[in-house]
Amino acid sequence: MDDHVLVRVTVNDHDHEERVPARLHAADFLRSTLGLTGTHVGCEQGACGMCTVLVDGRAVKSCLMLAAQLDGRVVETVESLAEDDRLNPLQAAFKEAHALQCGFCTPGFLMTTTALARSGARDLSREQIREEISGVLCRCTGYENIVTAVERHLQESVPASAEADGA
Amino acid sequence: MKAAAFSYTRPSSVAEAVSLLRSRAGEARVLAGGQSLVPMLGMRIMRPALLVDVNELELELGRIDVDGDDTVVGALVRYAEIETDPEIAERLPLLAHVVLRIGDRQVRNRGTIGGALAQSDPTGEMALASLALDATLVLRDADGERDVPAREFFVGSYHNVLEPDELLVAVRFPRRPGRFAFFERGRKHNDFALVSIAAVADVTPAQDGGAPVLRNVRIALGGVHDRPVLAEAAAAALEGRPCDAAAIAAAGELALEAIDPPDDIRGSAEYRRHLVPVHVRRVLQDLARGDDA
Repeated sequence: MDDHVLVRVTVNDHDHEERVPARLHAADFLRSTLGLTGTHVGCEQGACGMCTVLVDGRAVKSCLMLAAQLDGRVVETVESLAEDDRLNPLQAAFKEAHALQCGFCTPGFLMTTTALARSGARDLSREQIREEISGVLCRCTGYENIVTAVERHLQESVPASAEADGA
Repeated sequence: MKAAAFSYTRPSSVAEAVSLLRSRAGEARVLAGGQSLVPMLGMRIMRPALLVDVNELELELGRIDVDGDDTVVGALVRYAEIETDPEIAERLPLLAHVVLRIGDRQVRNRGTIGGALAQSDPTGEMALASLALDATLVLRDADGERDVPAREFFVGSYHNVLEPDELLVAVRFPRRPGRFAFFERGRKHNDFALVSIAAVADVTPAQDGGAPVLRNVRIALGGVHDRPVLAEAAAAALEGRPCDAAAIAAAGELALEAIDPPDDIRGSAEYRRHLVPVHVRRVLQDLARGDDA
């Protein structure tokens, strides 16, 4: 019981071991301790979704977890998506659909959609997509192009056979 | 939005957790899903000296068990699991229905039923469903367990009967009611509810042009008092009688007896008093008509 804790965590396939203040939240840990600044911080109270990352494959808001709670977990951030210097198919879908303007919220949408695609969801209605991504706020785009990018990505990347197991 | 300093520990058993809570009673807080507690730490609304993180206690607290007619949901069961669990869908469809009104995908991936009940938000959907479904909360301390019915658990705004050295370990739901109906109105998508209503009953369908008859009626209201409440007079008036338009209208008015709504940024007390009879009537019409939800 200490106000510092040891965190052993795998982030984007790299193992890290860091001793950090117990009060440090996971988003600050990723950005400040590990230097992974692709994860953005907006409201720091769980409302905006900018800081969404995957922990053990599930989309979570990293400002609502403590760094201490990442101990023993596997974390994926937006830095894990691009393949060398190439956008991955989801990022390419965002680019092609003009699904970003300032880009501040984009990491949150990309990670939320990464988990959604892995769940096997394929033929979601635009309304269902809006519900699934409603935990991330965008102040630029009006969402239509984001929904379009997600819709196209799910249809192109999720195998039809996966749908039976899907969300 | 940075929390004040605290110590952190992650017990590996419920026994260890309640022992810690006993030795540090009053200065320790339990961290479950963290979807309400972590922002409150950031805003420094709460400044505990110690956080007891129960997230490693999946084996003891993360199960959904069927026990005869009862369904026992561990305190650490997350909303996302309630959303998709086949036993919950079959036995507690109201719970599976209202959980979709909580937060968003990310919040439902982390938040837990026990955390929601311990938080005792007067607009909370888990609290509302526990009241409507007549759940019993199982509280444990270093000496043993006690059972508290949901209707006795909530005692004020964000306030309940949990002692500082007690841990909420499970929620026990009795036999599922025949039918449920639910309504919630917020200012915007997934905002805190202005008013929420969950009603359950066993319904005997209408015969020979009469009205359906409701039995074991329970009507829970959220957002219209300092805690979630049961509209007991309204439910009693409907019990075992034909549920016609006049009975439904009378129940809507009787529901006002149970509430003392707040004036706040989301709406005035007067507006909430206006909404309650209107929407209790509509929920009861849905309940009597028969399509769940």
